[in-house]
Amino acid sequence: MIRTAVHNSEITVVRPGDARLTAMNAKTFRDEVVALIDQGTSLLVVDFKDVSFLDSSGLGALVGVLKKIGNRGEMAVCGLNNDVEQMFRICRMDRVFTIYRDSDAAVQSMNERL
Amino acid sequence: MPNCLEGVDPTVLTVMSKLEGALSGDLPARVQICLSEALYNLVIHAKGADASVPIDVGLTIDDDTVRLEIFDPAGAAPFDLRLHARELAQVDLMAERGRGLSLIMECADSVDYGTSNGRNRLSLGFDRREEGSASEPVN
Repeated sequence: MIRTAVHNSEITVVRPGDARLTAMNAKTFRDEVVALIDQGTSLLVVDFKDVSFLDSSGLGALVGVLKKIGNRGEMAVCGLNNDVEQMFRICRMDRVFTIYRDSDAAVQSMNERL
Repeated sequence: MPNCLEGVDPTVLTVMSKLEGALSGDLPARVQICLSEALYNLVIHAKGADASVPIDVGLTIDDDTVRLEIFDPAGAAPFDLRLHARELAQVDLMAERGRGLSLIMECADSVDYGTSNGRNRLSLGFDRREEGSASEPVN
């Protein structure tokens, strides 16, 4: 389901494969991203540019991924449309995740700190 | 809608398409969040219901209010989310679950639950911010 792109061999950009990240597919998304982390990915950007809607299960999956990375690496999100950004704000996830405008900005910021 | 996970997103999209152009500001997002959370909650947690019994959803729009009515499938135990939802601010930021009911309470302008014509019904009201008028039963 997820689509991935690796930048500079270290930063992985993940795009959920569906336009809606909900209870329908959140567990699959979480499991697939956690598998990437288990394989060694530690710098992760989740790009929501193709996601139009996110529910509480989708948010929970993101939190699960963040907890999985823990202190081993870094995770950021980008490409939030107005509805997804509103969901982040209502749930105070803007305090939990570093949010970038797009994947280029996220990758550049992570690169500068490598 | 069918009482299954696969039925939720298409139903939400159908309702939102009927509201297209009728709402402004953050209202479409709040309606969509509430409807999605309420339907997934029913499909996942309404144990004891005959899975073949559909979940009915109604939508009414008037000048002042958008109202969603979500009827529990026949046989499901009554569940008044108002008695179970925590304040969203009280939910641990790092929690992986437990936000759904809180989101409904946060995003809807009014939440009611009770019996309507012998069926248990969740009624969610949203105050409109711009003028408009329509009436649109979903099913």
